[in-house]
Amino acid sequence: MTAVRRFRSMGCEIVVAGGDPTAVAGVFARWEGAFSRFLGDSELSRVNASPEAGLVVSPLFARALRIALDAAAETDGLVDPTLGAALEAAGYDDDFALLPADGPLGPAAPSRLGELRLDGTILRRPPGLVLDLNGVVKALAVDEAVAALPGDGFVSAGGDLAARGPVDVGLPSGGAVRLVRGGLATSGVSSRVWRRGDAVQHHLVDPRTGRPSSSPWREVSVAGATCLASDVAAKAAFLLGPDGPDWLDWRGLPGRFVGRDGAVHANQAWRAGISAEAACT
Amino acid sequence: MAGGSRIEQARSRARGAKLVLGALTSLVFGVAFVGARSHAPGHVKHKARPLGVPVSFETAVRKSALQAGQIAPPVQPPSVVTSTS
Repeated sequence: MTAVRRFRSMGCEIVVAGGDPTAVAGVFARWEGAFSRFLGDSELSRVNASPEAGLVVSPLFARALRIALDAAAETDGLVDPTLGAALEAAGYDDDFALLPADGPLGPAAPSRLGELRLDGTILRRPPGLVLDLNGVVKALAVDEAVAALPGDGFVSAGGDLAARGPVDVGLPSGGAVRLVRGGLATSGVSSRVWRRGDAVQHHLVDPRTGRPSSSPWREVSVAGATCLASDVAAKAAFLLGPDGPDWLDWRGLPGRFVGRDGAVHANQAWRAGISAEAACT
Repeated sequence: MAGGSRIEQARSRARGAKLVLGALTSLVFGVAFVGARSHAPGHVKHKARPLGVPVSFETAVRKSALQAGQIAPPVQPPSVVTSTS
């Protein structure tokens, strides 16, 4: 593997191998500039602040929102782009590094997916509906960056990784896996937790309750055909709790679950993938 | 009788002219048809379809957005350690 370069973007460390880090940084800057909830001049912030019920958004914004709506459909609404208000109510209303240690907890804000319409680049939603596209945007940036690599390599952004060619990847809770093809994403609450209302909060909101999920898992890793597929599936499997492993198996997606007690549970597809490949090599 | 004979002769000439015209039309059409096929063989013989992937393929891709990646046991120390997102 070629030299590894690192830089920070989207609030996490970006690791690049096999490509020009400046070009990759440009990709991430473009996505962050459009979709950050914490940049006042991002298109997402302007859309969220607009008092108009109908808006014309940029083609990039429409594309990302369409993908987010497709992800919601694929996950029966678990990965939901309308949970911005729930995140703010839970206290995640600024860059994570700037969050105060504690504070009051806002009201629950369940899904408002049914109130949102996107026709081409025309967005219709009630003013006050706060969009958050973080569920897909970082993975889209990773996939775009990897697609632009001139040869074998990988791009990693926090828990999201995509590769061209095999790469050995260390997992957040320990252990490693070789990603032969596609992407690998880990969603969880090992990091990025804070307190509000005398309770620990995190960013994985359950759209059914409008509160951070009480999933029994600490983190879920999924290997998908793309980083986007991996990330969406990992979030959905996390939110599904005990049903997560079977949900992934039904789709043939390898998943590795770490419980709150640290116990590791690999679903059937993860175990089969590793054992089948081991028999061939 | 003579008038009827002239009418019959005129009708006969008209029938002959129609036959000649019909035959000539068929001949010209046939020559043009064969010529068109031989000189422009790429002309479609069925209703034109739009270029691009079939809708069924696009539908299949959209439906299988959550496809699996491929994993294996690690064979060397990790090149990168990920965190959570």
